[in-house]
Amino acid sequence: MMRRKLKVAVFKFASCSGCQLQILNMEDELLTLTDAVEFTYFLEASRATAPGPYDVAFIEGSISTPEQEELVRRVREESRILVAMGACATAGGIQALRNWLRLDDVKRAVYPNPEWVKALEHSKPVAEVVKVDYELRGCPVSKERLLSFIKQVLVGRKPYLRREALCMDCRRKGNVCVMVAKGIPCLGPVVQEGCGAICPTFGRGCYGCFGPSIDARPEALASRLREVGMKDRDVARLFKGFTGWSEKFRKVINELEGGAR
Amino acid sequence: MVSGGIYSGKFGELRKLFNALRLRGYRVIAPKLEDGVIRLKEVTSFDEVPYGWEDIQAPGKYSVREGGKHFRHGPDAPKRILYPPRLELFRLRPDWSVEYPKERFPPTALFAIKPCDLASISVMDRVQGGIGDPYYLALRKKLIIIVENCVEPGATCFCSTMGTGPEARDGFDIAYTRLDDNLVVFRPGSDLGVELLSELNIEPATDEVLRKYYDALKNASLKAKAPFELERLPDELELGLNSPVFKEVAERCFGCAGCNMVCPTCFCFDVIDEPELDGGAVRVRVWDGCFSYTYAEVAGGNFRKDLWARYRHWVLHKFAYWVRQFGVFGCVGCGRCITWCPAGIDLRETIKSVVEWVRSRGGG
Ligand code: SF4
Ligand code: SF4
Ligand code: SF4
Ligand code: SF4
Repeated sequence: MMRRKLKVAVFKFASCSGCQLQILNMEDELLTLTDAVEFTYFLEASRATAPGPYDVAFIEGSISTPEQEELVRRVREESRILVAMGACATAGGIQALRNWLRLDDVKRAVYPNPEWVKALEHSKPVAEVVKVDYELRGCPVSKERLLSFIKQVLVGRKPYLRREALCMDCRRKGNVCVMVAKGIPCLGPVVQEGCGAICPTFGRGCYGCFGPSIDARPEALASRLREVGMKDRDVARLFKGFTGWSEKFRKVINELEGGAR
Repeated sequence: MVSGGIYSGKFGELRKLFNALRLRGYRVIAPKLEDGVIRLKEVTSFDEVPYGWEDIQAPGKYSVREGGKHFRHGPDAPKRILYPPRLELFRLRPDWSVEYPKERFPPTALFAIKPCDLASISVMDRVQGGIGDPYYLALRKKLIIIVENCVEPGATCFCSTMGTGPEARDGFDIAYTRLDDNLVVFRPGSDLGVELLSELNIEPATDEVLRKYYDALKNASLKAKAPFELERLPDELELGLNSPVFKEVAERCFGCAGCNMVCPTCFCFDVIDEPELDGGAVRVRVWDGCFSYTYAEVAGGNFRKDLWARYRHWVLHKFAYWVRQFGVFGCVGCGRCITWCPAGIDLRETIKSVVEWVRSRGGG
């Protein structure tokens, strides 16, 4: 098919590179993909870079320093479609655990020369700094969803990816609900589908790496977990793990911890 | 010689029946214990059917124990087989010609399913069958059904109220009932059922066996009851549209749509077109449900933005609108949405409370 190649850029901010690796992990599709897509900026894959503008920019990582804030603003200006990719970019990531602590304390605990470290008060999702057009969730992001997203952009349609509760996919898949059958706490009822219910498939509860589903009611899940005997502290921890800084989970965590933030 | 009527035989005759189905080339799908849960799966040996096991069900809770006499249905309903959760409808080739999937369903026997699940198939016959869903009908016409009547309903069952059990009325090929460890009552429900039963070593049931049989089913039917009656229920529920009960219950609900997924009659679906890199595409049908937020979303708005409105819609569809739409209730009383709700919400209590609210205001 004759069409201009889609110019795609992949940028890394505060993150582990796991999401970018998912792009390189698309081994079977990568060759066909590069017929239609040109990765003009993707340091994990190639040193060669070309300047913007970009059709699609995938942002991996949270915004954690003043320089990152600056850079992501520039990327926004250069990009037609900006996609926040993964738990860090969409919810602040695991590193957002520090948002509940005092920045100075954290710096001192980690670095021998804390005064050299310039960091923002919070590890922030990209959407707190610039406008995000689409979110691809997960820690790491799902390869299937990523590919589906790119294919949909390629045919020129508005990408459609379901954003309902993980439970729907879990049950479609034929998993037995671990909450009901094993009494294992699971965030699936309030977490966005997309991973294929990996954790319940292996008999454990979802720990929320895809973040809140479209109309999530984490407060209802939190009361249920308390009702069946979980301590407030443990419920808060469960929500905190991967996407705790997402607005919806943050609210529940703060209520459980009795603090205000 | 077997004709219509009621027969009895030993437990071993069930094994013979199972083997006869396999010999005739049926894929047999039956209850099967897997990782502490009774599933509905293909089984190749009669010994895989969990006779001697019992499930314990309560709102939001499920477990099994060995040594019980009777098992009930687990989370999987026949819907999973007849109306698969994810089904490729067709492929579009790069030249835009359409390729339909080839026949992919072998002749199938559902063995030892429960009367509520049998009833759910007849509901599906009206809904999916009624609109002529070719994917459903292709499977349905190859299906034979051996149903096990329930002598011991579970704690979340209310088939008796819904009139769907604990004894199967019609729509089966064979119905059997385990009265005790070594006494099984058989009833044919079709010509094929008669033919299959003719191969077994069974006798017309004696008066004593018949008495036992009717007693057992009568006892069972006293158990599988919900705290409401069907008479006038659709009208009463519609009068209860503004009842605060829906909002109260929805406070506890997660909106996870787990109930939609496990319900044997919930038929809603989403259609997803997945473009391929070569210029083709695949059209896929996946289960959806009215609890999901996007379900009633349209350009410019959402008919049921609030979860309580979605919860209310679900209850009313099952117990009021369905009756007007399809002439039957949309609920067969299997209790799956109660047992498998991670929030432990009990549909029976919701209905009871709404009806009480309506009556307390002089309605109904
Ligand atoms: S295991 Fe978790 S995700 Fe799966 S149905 Fe249960 S609560 Fe939902
Ligand atoms: S089940 Fe939950 S934690 Fe596990 S991969 Fe999926 S979204 Fe992430
Ligand atoms: S009633 Fe239960 S299973 Fe259904 S959506 Fe609410 S929480 Fe989920
Ligand atoms: S509404 Fe609940 S009890 Fe009724 S058929 Fe569906 S899952 Fe079973």
